[in-house]
Amino acid sequence: MDNREVLVDIKNLRTFFYTEDGVVPAVDGIDLTIHRGEVVGLVGESGCGKSVTALSILRLIPNPPGKIIGGEIFFHGEDLLKKNEEEMRMIRGDKISMIFQEPMTSLNPVYTIGDQISEAITLHQKIDGTEAKKRTIEMLHLVGIPEPERRFSQYPHEMSGGMRQRVMIAMALSSNPDLLISDEATTALDVTIQAQILDLMRGLQKKLGMAILIITHNLAVVAEMAETISIAYAGKIVESASAKETFKSPRHPYTYGLLQSIPKFTEKKTNEPLPAIEGMVPSPYHMPKGCRFNPRCPFATEKCREEEPEIVELTPGHLVRCFHPIES
Amino acid sequence: MLPLILIVMIVSFGIFSLVPNPFAALIENPRIKKADIQRLIKAWGFDLPWYLRFFKWFSGVIRGDWGPSLLYPGSLARDIISRALPVTVRVMALEFLVSLVIALPIGIVSAVKQYSVTDYVVTVISFLGMSMPTFWFGLLVMMLFSVVLKRPSGMPLLPAGGIITPGLEEAPFWAKLADRAQYLVMPVFVLAFSSVGGWARYMRSSMLEVIRQDYIRTARAKGVPEHSVINKHALRNAMIPIVTLVALTLPGIVGGAAITETIFNIPGMGSLIIAAEIKSDYPTAMIGLMLISILVIVFNLVADIVYAWVDPRIKYS
Amino acid sequence: MAEKVIEAKKKGQRKSSDDYTYVGMVFHRLTRHKLAMVGAFMLILILLFVFVGPLVWRADPNEQIESLEGMFNVPSRAHPLGTDDYGRDVLARMFFGGRISLFIGFISAISSTIVGAMVGLVAGYYGGWADDLLMRFTDAMLSIPTFPLLIALASVMGKGIGQIILVIVIFGWMVDARLVRGLVLSLKEQEYIEAAHAIGASANRIMWRHLFPNTLAVLIVSTTIGIGGAIIYEASISFLGFGVQAPFASWGNMLQNAQQFIWNSPRLIIYPGLAIFMTVLGFNFFGDGLRDAIDPKLKL
Repeated sequence: MDNREVLVDIKNLRTFFYTEDGVVPAVDGIDLTIHRGEVVGLVGESGCGKSVTALSILRLIPNPPGKIIGGEIFFHGEDLLKKNEEEMRMIRGDKISMIFQEPMTSLNPVYTIGDQISEAITLHQKIDGTEAKKRTIEMLHLVGIPEPERRFSQYPHEMSGGMRQRVMIAMALSSNPDLLISDEATTALDVTIQAQILDLMRGLQKKLGMAILIITHNLAVVAEMAETISIAYAGKIVESASAKETFKSPRHPYTYGLLQSIPKFTEKKTNEPLPAIEGMVPSPYHMPKGCRFNPRCPFATEKCREEEPEIVELTPGHLVRCFHPIES
Repeated sequence: MLPLILIVMIVSFGIFSLVPNPFAALIENPRIKKADIQRLIKAWGFDLPWYLRFFKWFSGVIRGDWGPSLLYPGSLARDIISRALPVTVRVMALEFLVSLVIALPIGIVSAVKQYSVTDYVVTVISFLGMSMPTFWFGLLVMMLFSVVLKRPSGMPLLPAGGIITPGLEEAPFWAKLADRAQYLVMPVFVLAFSSVGGWARYMRSSMLEVIRQDYIRTARAKGVPEHSVINKHALRNAMIPIVTLVALTLPGIVGGAAITETIFNIPGMGSLIIAAEIKSDYPTAMIGLMLISILVIVFNLVADIVYAWVDPRIKYS
Repeated sequence: MAEKVIEAKKKGQRKSSDDYTYVGMVFHRLTRHKLAMVGAFMLILILLFVFVGPLVWRADPNEQIESLEGMFNVPSRAHPLGTDDYGRDVLARMFFGGRISLFIGFISAISSTIVGAMVGLVAGYYGGWADDLLMRFTDAMLSIPTFPLLIALASVMGKGIGQIILVIVIFGWMVDARLVRGLVLSLKEQEYIEAAHAIGASANRIMWRHLFPNTLAVLIVSTTIGIGGAIIYEASISFLGFGVQAPFASWGNMLQNAQQFIWNSPRLIIYPGLAIFMTVLGFNFFGDGLRDAIDPKLKL
């Protein structure tokens, strides 16, 4: 069991989107716990609700059409969903920071990157402009950007994608937050840069000690970084365990399917096609009855088609939402 | 810029060269002597083939020799035009400022409060402005404020035409200003009504486009207060396409001004050109047209510079 | 977050787009757009007025009444909109004037679009000096304030319906040229164009078969809104005496005629102006809704 203090505790979060074409239950009962300094991975396919979860923590869900309709998000013991806008604003960028997927468009093109980072600093700390500039340059140095003094006055379009992502990280960590949320931050980068950024994040985590919530669809990323992994499907968490356990003994058929579909190097060459999970992610307007994974599950029974399974703790620290979890 | 001006001059010249016999009206006029007409023909180069004529005209125009005015016989075209130009510039500048000052904020509010009542009201008013034929609106406004509404003295509430009360030409600055204001209220209002509509809508859609961007989400995630998100982060980006748009709609405004000037009897370039065209004073009309086009081109150049200044991604060579 | 909603919407539409074709989807969105439907309603009313009207109210728009009592009549049973300075029935003149104004507007708008599209396609596709030359020319034309130039051309070319249409087209094609050129420039880079090149398609074929259909949507919107603009141009030109000539009526020249009678019969100004206003408003509402329906991203 984890002895560290609980930093974030999400209980039964429900965030729905009310669109012209119907209601989308993007997040429908997600539970997640993050401890101080822990690196947690939230994995799932597109549309499973992981980004929405992250945005819900910071209460950045656009109000039409989205709404957090239920649940609690405890941060240092206080429910974020009960805070007012001003209180949330003070938490954003200061205690909880977020970096996003598209470095190319996530920075304001008409202001220098130095200004944008300094802004984050002066918003939350009582220091003046010159001091903020100094600190900004320190941060740029910390994230591995060469010639930080020169880069301070550069505009985003003068930098590559990898560099911009480093700038985003510098901005996010400038006030030494307790939690960094990384929403597919490396997905849009090419593989070598991706590796660099992940290394950077790992290094910074050791140095600064913040918790990280890594959101991705790429199992390889969490394999490297995360201590605990939660797998999301169609708005719910279907499995949650330590990284080791998840990879060694997945219990949920979906997790198992995901792991099977990773190409592996083996001694014998086979000409067999890569196993893939049959079917497609369900349309949010037409969720299947019963267990949401049942149409694609090779082990589905009548019960799976009728009732929705609850989360069960199979072994200490290993939670699964399934009537027929795979044998370990 | 220069090639543009050249093309404009060629086009202006070209159009009026299409007139089969530009002096037809003059010949009919019994008060003008044959000898004078001959003189004009020579002066304007109509005894020469067209390519030479263009050069003669071109060199004359460059030197400032714009020939006699046919509209007001006895005066030089140059004098007439130089009296009319500042009037138009004044009206246009005023109208431009007023429209901008009104349109931009309502566009922003409309975008920030999308789908609210304010937004719908603004949208509908914008459409009204854009669809209204200016001259009709001008006539209606004139009917209302000059015919229907009257001052206690019996005089119309707002004067129906002209730009200054006769006799006040030498009055002190403030009195002149106040007097001028009453003449300009209606024309500026009529002109502004149509541009405000278009610009507010563009501001709105530009803002909407910008607010959806990722970097706005980043700003919020950083903890930037909402008013700063809108006024600092979003606005600067949204203004960029507006600069181009404003420059693009300018010819339309100047054009629309022409008819408004005619209705409200304002002695500016617009009504001058039209009067010249109606009375077949083609030389004056040509030059007038050319001048306001050049004005527009210069303004576009200024707009380009402003654009490069506002958007750091553009390198102005 | 934005991706989530878009994904959700795409999923929803993936379902509904299985049911609808592209045109069907556009229509579906269009019918839900309030202003567009208001515009469509207005246009239908006006079209009915102008085309069906004369069948219902039979009066000769050109029949003059030579007596003083016949002039400037107030609306009555005999003349629902009154009579003008020649004793002609205003309602009848409104019908026929409307037909002419609408005709001119429609033909001018479509013609400008066609000319503009061709220029834009060529300029965008070939690029290089052709593009430069064409665009310089377009820019120069755009710098000249349209209206005085319209009058200039009108005064030079003479009066009449054909001339007006020509004049409006000469000054209207630039907008579409610019629009199409911009679109072509971005479309050119897409892979299916490269693919077409690779299999040996000729320039003409690429332009007409591949690029043009993709500009169609934008052009339709532009034409719709252009009709409104063309009607205003026609009215303005006729207003100054250059366009449609007597005895033909157009809403524009009715206004011109009425201008002198602003003091004693303001009604004569209100009717045609209102008609123009409503028509243009209708086209603008509808065109705007059409634009939103074709490219809903802008609405989101």
